[in-house]
Amino acid sequence: MDERLEKALEVANYMTTLSNQKKVLAEKYHSDLIYCVNGGQFTASNERIAFCNALVQHNQVEAVLIDDNQTPVLINDIKEFTENLIDTYAQASNKLYAEHAKLKLKRTVEDLIS
Amino acid sequence: MTLQGILVFAFNNSQIDYISQAINLATRAKKFLNLPVSIVTDSSIDSDVFEHIIHYKPSFTTGKRYYDGALSNKNLNFRNDARTHAYDLTPYSETLILDTDFVIADSVLSYCFEQSHDFLAYKNATDLSGHRNYGEFQYVSDTGVDFYWATVVFFRKTLLNKTFFDLLNHVKENWTHYKQVYRIEGSTYRNDHAFSIAIHIINGFQKGDFAKSVPGNLLYTTDKDILHSIEDNDFVFMLEKQRRKGEYTVVKTANQSIHVMNKFSLDRALKNE
Repeated sequence: MDERLEKALEVANYMTTLSNQKKVLAEKYHSDLIYCVNGGQFTASNERIAFCNALVQHNQVEAVLIDDNQTPVLINDIKEFTENLIDTYAQASNKLYAEHAKLKLKRTVEDLIS
Repeated sequence: MTLQGILVFAFNNSQIDYISQAINLATRAKKFLNLPVSIVTDSSIDSDVFEHIIHYKPSFTTGKRYYDGALSNKNLNFRNDARTHAYDLTPYSETLILDTDFVIADSVLSYCFEQSHDFLAYKNATDLSGHRNYGEFQYVSDTGVDFYWATVVFFRKTLLNKTFFDLLNHVKENWTHYKQVYRIEGSTYRNDHAFSIAIHIINGFQKGDFAKSVPGNLLYTTDKDILHSIEDNDFVFMLEKQRRKGEYTVVKTANQSIHVMNKFSLDRALKNE
């Protein structure tokens, strides 16, 4: 086989595996963003955090939020809820960042799955 | 008093050791979810990992093609009729039904018991390969209703859920009729299809919100993929390549629960763990 083609196929194999690993991390991140309270399930998304922060800014103490299953949930302390949401977001995002940083250093298929 | 627990169904055939898979699941359930596990089976079990061993004699056996990667397959017996009796068989008031080939590696499913809905099932799932587009996991047929996975189902003992499981048994007992009405191809009875049909009916023959989604994503690999190895919470898979039959790319997951459809490779990996 042409050496250039052989090298390209090796890189292609690496890129496929890297893409797979990134996808796995994205799925894990999605699960890590889940925060459950008062029978509701909330994903700590940027939009939800921003909205909750707006409620806090407007001195709201309690509020009804629509959870991931489109169910209204009464949150008694919106400030505490927002802090927990941000905490969930930070933990999940920091973990994702660290895992991505590790992937960047892995230059072969063997490294990626080691 | 609320009793929470996991219910699994395990009926060995000549090649697949569902009991070993269930033992692995129960061990991991205790570790990650801190929940007791009960098993429904027709085998005698020499393990103290289960809280209850519930004996059940399957009423029928079907045939199913089991793949072991893209190039190998076998036709084997498949006994899957017990699941529709979960409501009556479970010793728990809040039950999480899991397939034995669902390998737990995180605690996401514990949220099922914290949320307020009485019936949960996955409607969407993520294929680890990324390149396959299985329409059969979106709708029960090309002109059919939404597909729900029976792999992970959570329910509380309520009157409505009792009605649902009675309906589910009715669908199963009249499978020939319902499979024609819902235009399901193939002869094998599948719990996924029976659950999907029953959910559609109980919603008033339309899309509805009887079944809410289980927390998190359902990750899966098909039986055309191969589970290469399990090392604690790290799983290495060989995923079928796109348009390259018999060729694979590798992927590793860590601390993520996953539905492993290739039962041969799951058995091998568990033996070598």
